[in-house]
Formats: sequence, C-alpha cells, structure tokens
Amino acid sequence: MNAIDGTDRHIKSTDGPPPSLLTIILDTNPFAWAHLSSILPLSSVVANLLVFINAHLASGNANEVAVIASHNKRTAWLYPTPAPVSAHNTNGDSSSRNGAATHTQNANKYQPFAEVETNLLFNLDNLLKTTTSDDLSTTTTQIAGALSTALSYISKSTIRHSPVDPTLLESHALVIDDGNLTSQRVNLVSRILVLSVSGDLASQYIPVMNAIFAAQRQRIPIDILKLAGDTVLLQQACDATGGIYMAPESPQGLLQYLMMAFLPDATARKWLVLPSAGSVDFRAACFCHRNVVDIGFVCSVCLSIFCSPNLPDSTCLTCSSVLSLGGAITAAPALIPRKKKKRKRVAGDGSTPGGSATPLPGNGTPVHP
Amino acid sequence: MSASTSQALDYLEGQTQITHQKLYEQPSTALAVFRCMLPHLAKTIVMAMLYMPRAFTIGDLDHWIRANSKGEREKAISVLQSLHIITHSQESSKSLSYRLESGFANSLRQALTGGGNHKSFGVPSSTPDKNDVDIAFLDQFARKQWEAILYFMVGSTSGLRDSTGLGETVGNGTRKLLEIGDFVTRANHGTITKTGFTFLLQEANAQVWSLLIVYLKQAPELGMNEVDVLSFIFMLGSLSLGQDYSTATLSPTQLQMLEDLNDFGIVYRSSKTSSRFYPTRLATTLTSDAGALQTTSTTFSNALRPSTAPGKGYIIVETNYRIYAYTSSHLQIAVLSLFARLSSRFPNLVSGKLTKDSIQRAIKLGIEARQIIDYLTAHAHPQMQKNNPVLPPTVMDQIRLWEYEGERIEATHGHLMKDFSSEKEYQDTLGYAESLGVLTWKSDQKRVFFVDRLEQISAYLVSKKEKR
Repeated sequence: MNAIDGTDRHIKSTDGPPPSLLTIILDTNPFAWAHLSSILPLSSVVANLLVFINAHLASGNANEVAVIASHNKRTAWLYPTPAPVSAHNTNGDSSSRNGAATHTQNANKYQPFAEVETNLLFNLDNLLKTTTSDDLSTTTTQIAGALSTALSYISKSTIRHSPVDPTLLESHALVIDDGNLTSQRVNLVSRILVLSVSGDLASQYIPVMNAIFAAQRQRIPIDILKLAGDTVLLQQACDATGGIYMAPESPQGLLQYLMMAFLPDATARKWLVLPSAGSVDFRAACFCHRNVVDIGFVCSVCLSIFCSPNLPDSTCLTCSSVLSLGGAITAAPALIPRKKKKRKRVAGDGSTPGGSATPLPGNGTPVHP
Repeated sequence: MSASTSQALDYLEGQTQITHQKLYEQPSTALAVFRCMLPHLAKTIVMAMLYMPRAFTIGDLDHWIRANSKGEREKAISVLQSLHIITHSQESSKSLSYRLESGFANSLRQALTGGGNHKSFGVPSSTPDKNDVDIAFLDQFARKQWEAILYFMVGSTSGLRDSTGLGETVGNGTRKLLEIGDFVTRANHGTITKTGFTFLLQEANAQVWSLLIVYLKQAPELGMNEVDVLSFIFMLGSLSLGQDYSTATLSPTQLQMLEDLNDFGIVYRSSKTSSRFYPTRLATTLTSDAGALQTTSTTFSNALRPSTAPGKGYIIVETNYRIYAYTSSHLQIAVLSLFARLSSRFPNLVSGKLTKDSIQRAIKLGIEARQIIDYLTAHAHPQMQKNNPVLPPTVMDQIRLWEYEGERIEATHGHLMKDFSSEKEYQDTLGYAESLGVLTWKSDQKRVFFVDRLEQISAYLVSKKEKR
C-alpha cells in the first residue's frame, strides 16, 4: 500500500525545467568601447551576443530574453522594443508587427531568432544615432538605472507567469477564456547578465547596492562578464546574489565564455561546477565623495559610510542625526604584526605559504597531498 | 523534454546513424532535435562544445559537472550518443574525449547564426494569397479536423456516433492509420482499443506526435522517404502561425505528406493543387513542450478547445467524488463518461460521480489511474487550479487504490542481468543501471537485476571490456 500513498501526488504535472528569462545589460559606453576597439569591437560583441541569445532561446521552449543598453546618461531598451502607444502585446503571434522594426521572413532563419536580431540591431542603431555630444559629457555608464529597469521588467514578467495570481484571476474572471490567463502557468526563473566595460562605477554606489539587495531578495542571480574596467562594485553584486563573475583574460574568445559559463540556467547550474570569483573586493564607497574606502566611518543610526570624520555640523548626511566622529580618530586602529613571521623565513619555502606547519620531505619541491 | 516528445525521442533513438546524419543536414532539423529532444543537461553540454576549438576530454567533463549529478550526466551523454550527436574518440593514449558530430554542429551553428542558404525554415509565399485566411480560421480548421478524429475514436464507446453523425468526416487514409497504430480495431465497426484510450487522454501535443509516429512508421510502405518525412515534421515545428508558405521547395514525398497533414488539420491548403500552405497551431507547437504550451499566452489547447466550452479548465472535483464539468462539448462529455458515472446534464454543465465501478470499468478498458488523474488535473477548473495539489488528495489516492485492487502483479518488459563474475562487477553495473534509471528490480543475494532497457548497459559493458 505504500506504493500508493507516495508523495508523488504533489509533483506538478509540468516536466522539464521552468522557463527562464535572461535579462542582458549591455554596457554601451562609447568611451570604453573606443578603448577596446582594437581588441574587441562592439560589432563583434553584438554578433556573439546574438548567437548567445539564440542559444538561450533554443535551450528552453518558453525561454525569454530582454536586452537593455546602459548608455552614458540613460538606459534604453534593445529588446523587446517598447510599444509606443498601444498596450504591450504579450501575444507572441503578432508582436513582431507592432514593433518599430518589422522584418521580412527569411527562409534561412528561425523566426524567433530573426525577430530578436532585427529588433536588437534596429534599436542599437537608433541609440547610437541619437547619442549627442551632450550625452558624452560623462565617461561612465548608467549601470544603476539599467539594473533597476531589468529588475522591474523581471518582476513584471514574473507576475505575468506566476501560477497563482488571485488579483488577476478575480478581476478578469469574466474574460478568463481569452487565453491570456492560462490557469496552468509555471514560475519563471530569471537572471541578469551584465556585460560591463566601464570602470568608475563607485559614483553610483548607493543605487547599485540597492539594486543588488533587491535582486538578492528576489533570488535573481546577477552574472557579470567584465571585459574592461575596475571591478569594485560588480564583484559584490555577483557575490551577494550568487551569480557568476568572470573577467576573461582573452576577450576575443567571448562567445566560448558566454556559452560555457553563462548559458546554463538555474536548473543546469545545480549540476555544474561554476567558475568562482576567487577573492572578492568587499570595499564600500563612501556616501559623501563616492570614493572607495579601506577604512570608513559609519553612522550608528543609518549605517551610512563616510570617508572622513569631519562632517559638517556633526550631523549625518543621510539621516541628519547627530553624529560626532571626532573621537574616532584618536583611537586609530592598530595593526598587530603577526609573530610567526620570523619562523617562516627560516623555513625558507616561500612558494607554499601556510604550508610551513607540515615538514616537507625535500626542500624546494612543493608536494601536494 | 516532456512526456509528449519522449515517444518521438524513442522513435528517433531507434534510427540508424545514416538516418541521423541525413537528418542533421537540415539546420531546422538539427535545431528542432536540439530544442525538443535533448535533456536539459545535454543541451548545456552541446552548447558548451559547439564553439569549442578542440574536443572535450572526459577529464574536463568530470571537472565541469558535479560528482553528485552523475545520473543526469549519464542520461545526457547516453541520449547524445544514441542520437549520434556526440562521438567519443581516443585523443591521446590516456584521455578519452567527446566530439560533436560535425554535420550536427555545422547545422546547429547555421541555425543559431542564421547563415547559409538552406531554406530549411520554410519559404514564405512571395505573392499575397487572394483568399487570405486568418489565425482564427486556422484554429477553427485545426480544431474541426482533429476533433473529428477524436470523435471517430471515442464515438463507439459513448454511443454518440450514430446520433450526431460526428466523426464520419474522417478520411479513409486517417482511418487506416488509426487501425495500423492500433488505436481502433476494425472489428465491430471500429472499436477503440487500449492504446486508443491512452491516446485519447494524452495532452493534445502528445496526441499529434503519437499519430505522426504511426505515420512515420508506415511511410516506407507508401513509398515515402522516412528522412524526408521526419525533417518535414521538424520544419513544420519551426514555422510561424498565420504565414503562408510556398510548396515550391518541397520534395515529392513532402508534397504527398501535405495532403495527409491537411486531413489531420496540421496544415491547411485551400485546394489540393494550391501552391501554398498554412501551418496551423497543431504544427507550430509540435516542437514546443508542455511548459511552452502552458505559458505562451495563446495556447495549443485554445486551438483544440471546443467552440462552446468556457475555457481551458472546466472540471471541478469535490472531495466527495462528485465531479462537475462546465462543458457542452460532446467530445469532452464522451471522454468523461469513460471513467465517471454521469448523472445529469444541463445546457452548460454535466455532473456525475467517480465511483468504484466507473473507475474500474475504465481500468478494464485499459486506462490507467495515472491517466485519469492527469486528465482531471490538466482540465481542472481555474478555481481548482488555486489548490495545491489541484485535485483533492483523497480522490487521487482512492483512484489509485481502486486501480491497485485489480493489479497485484505488474508486468515490465525487459532483460534480466545475471551471472556476474564478481561482486565488484555486479555492483558496478548495478550502479550504472541505477544512474540511468532503467533498474526495475534487483536481488543482491543472487546477484541478479532486471532492467527495462538494455542498449546503454550493453554498450557500457562492451566499453568496459575494451578498456581491460
């Protein structure tokens, strides 16, 4: 009789992995790309990215993709093309018609792939054409804005896919047969991939951190592919959200990095050994000058970080509570030197740090157990 | 991979390497096989290997895939090997490595990049159709044709056939096909068989595949090229709905197929000589799996929804075994009456009860409890869908118990593995069988075990022998 009352009745009838939404944030900062152009021009990155997107779409039948450009002063949608006036059409059959870019059928291309490609290229072209010299006054990119846009798009899609959605079910109870509200829906699994080339992101420390925490709450991993620039903030984003961080040594092999490390979705990641970030730079940026600080001063009320103790009026800049940091300087944190240093030098084996406790059989031959 | 495509996979795995190679010449087929036949991990592996300049050594694979997901890995690799997508080769004296079959890899790359001039994703008609048809019409056409087939099958049991005259429009070719597929028997004016019931309770996508596979198996007898038929089916899955396609690039076999597919409601042609065809929703969702069908806003079941039914789900099951079905479709009532005792009928509602007699009658006819539960779950009313689990647990358990009452013995086809030379060898092979999920029964004492599929195990034993 045990065979009958199994727990298997709780298994949903859906088989296979849940659909996954991949939101790609493409850093289109012209300064950084100009710098990179000799090694890896933007055009070839976009071509590689398109193959990667197609691979993602092919990996699951219900997989979706969204691409956001994080430009100098603004973020822009590359795919899906936002519908100008009419309500966003979620119907896959005719959405290609209302977008700005229409295309003719090509017998050599799979239809969904062609649609993404046409839209993405059209929008990217548009974005680059409309970039004015005024836009180029800053050299950094709107990564915080792009992350927030991505997160809001993801949460919108998640609501659209959620299996139980009481508000929608009740308000649409009468029109339930229009097919848009299929009652058997499965949860959407989302992730964000940031293709970053710009450095100097510390100026957006607070909004980016907020986006990271929001992603953490929603269990959305943020993957980072860093082609150029410094890494302070984005590495933390991966670490906090459980994403993958990669700074490839040879960016020319971009496609292979994408296919091997970033293509597996949450289901496949359970089975794979993922590349790890190694050591993560956890330093924070101060709230007053947006500098990355090694030692900072923290408001005891709102936990804001400041680089110097001399605050105007002795009030916290964020929460305006009284904050006197003058006393903090006097007790400068002292670094206590480690005592074992001398013995280590005696052992004379600098190549295996930390291994000095075990006596080595032969001097100079690093033996791995 | 879903239940609906697993039978297609079974069929495909049974084909020879030459058939596979011919199939993979078309990028659309390579893509379709990738999309709907491979397990998830296999897709990941293929994608990782696709642009890799050298072969993927087994050592690297070991490092990449976690040790505790060995079962998944074995499954993925064995499917890939049986479909001849990867081959393993001896690179150097020590390392074995996997390689993607070059034909498959090239086609898949072409499919992803959209390069080449293979025209395998369907050639759209260049001229506008003078009697243009819209999506609603195609849906209606598909529904009409497919339901006719279902009516034809179910009609004999429910006694509706004579009174309504439904199912009489089914062509002779289709009837013959249903007989060959053992869905109905000719005896007694076309009575539905056990396989027929299984067919009937499947989701629509799986039904289409079942029928197409019967069609495929029969293809050589009709003088049709099997590879042509298969790649055409896969191509249909990659077309877009509402677009008309030209027949100019199709082979004679495929032209012949169009007629039959028109009968099934899978494609639409205005006349037999028309130079264009429209794929219906039945065709365009062929290579989508269940997940896609549930999430895409306009689902497949829309296409098959009887025009009068209120929505996708229409059945309410109460804990006291009463069922209420908000439908007026003959087909749905007929299906329900297979396993429920229906008592009253209203203009838009049928009510009845699941009784021991009704369930056991269904089981005698060859329907499994699992199928009944799946059917009820899949067609549950939106109000029921809010529950988790969807059906009341008592009802589900009771249906299983009723089935169990009549089945003290379960028969499984398969092979007995015995006479192992050592305990180690026994344990090793057993472990492999377990990780593949083909193990049905074992006895450590006697060192024998029973598997329901042999191919991969024998390949494993052979490769072990070679190593020695």
